[in-house]
Amino acid sequence: MERPEEAVVQRTGIWTRPYVMGVVFVPLSLLGGLLPSFSLAANLYVLLLGVGLLVAGMSSRMPRISTPEELPPGTAWWLLPVALFVVFEVATYMGGSTFHSPTLSLLADPLLDSYPSRSAAYFGWLTVFWGMVRR
Amino acid sequence: MSVTRTLVIAGFIAAALAAVALEWVARREGSRVPRLGDVAAVIMRYEVGGLPVGRLALLGFWLWIGWHFLAR
Repeated sequence: MERPEEAVVQRTGIWTRPYVMGVVFVPLSLLGGLLPSFSLAANLYVLLLGVGLLVAGMSSRMPRISTPEELPPGTAWWLLPVALFVVFEVATYMGGSTFHSPTLSLLADPLLDSYPSRSAAYFGWLTVFWGMVRR
Repeated sequence: MSVTRTLVIAGFIAAALAAVALEWVARREGSRVPRLGDVAAVIMRYEVGGLPVGRLALLGFWLWIGWHFLAR
């Protein structure tokens, strides 16, 4: 049986509209910011959200944003920030990640201690995750 | 602050600034540099034997990033 086109658009449209998921992610991020690192609650919360989004991303029922078939030649420029990051991350990791030679994780720890920055990090993580799910 | 710590922080900031600059260039009309989202989308289309390994790898990596920074 054929469904009216309007009904189909309305059913899939709500999640695909800009800012709708942003509104959903705000309370989730504010809640996540309350959970301290290394706590069982934080582990379960991140895994619950992450696995949920991973499953949504693997589902073929999720409407996806159209993407180019091929990438332009300028794609190689993206290797520059990636290589720069990898060089410093690997070098500091091999050095044992100390105060004088910290990995990104060690540098981020004090920044993620406060509630506002922790909530903002949750929001960024969820927003990027959702962007990947939609691709 | 030691010289090595300053150098490492400068390195990470340079990598982040380079990524922001590239995304800015990519969003200009007629740019030959793709957006990061488009690069990710093409990687996510990679399949082996019908299995979406590219998609699974990137989504799994981002799940690990959240767990590593927010839970561990």
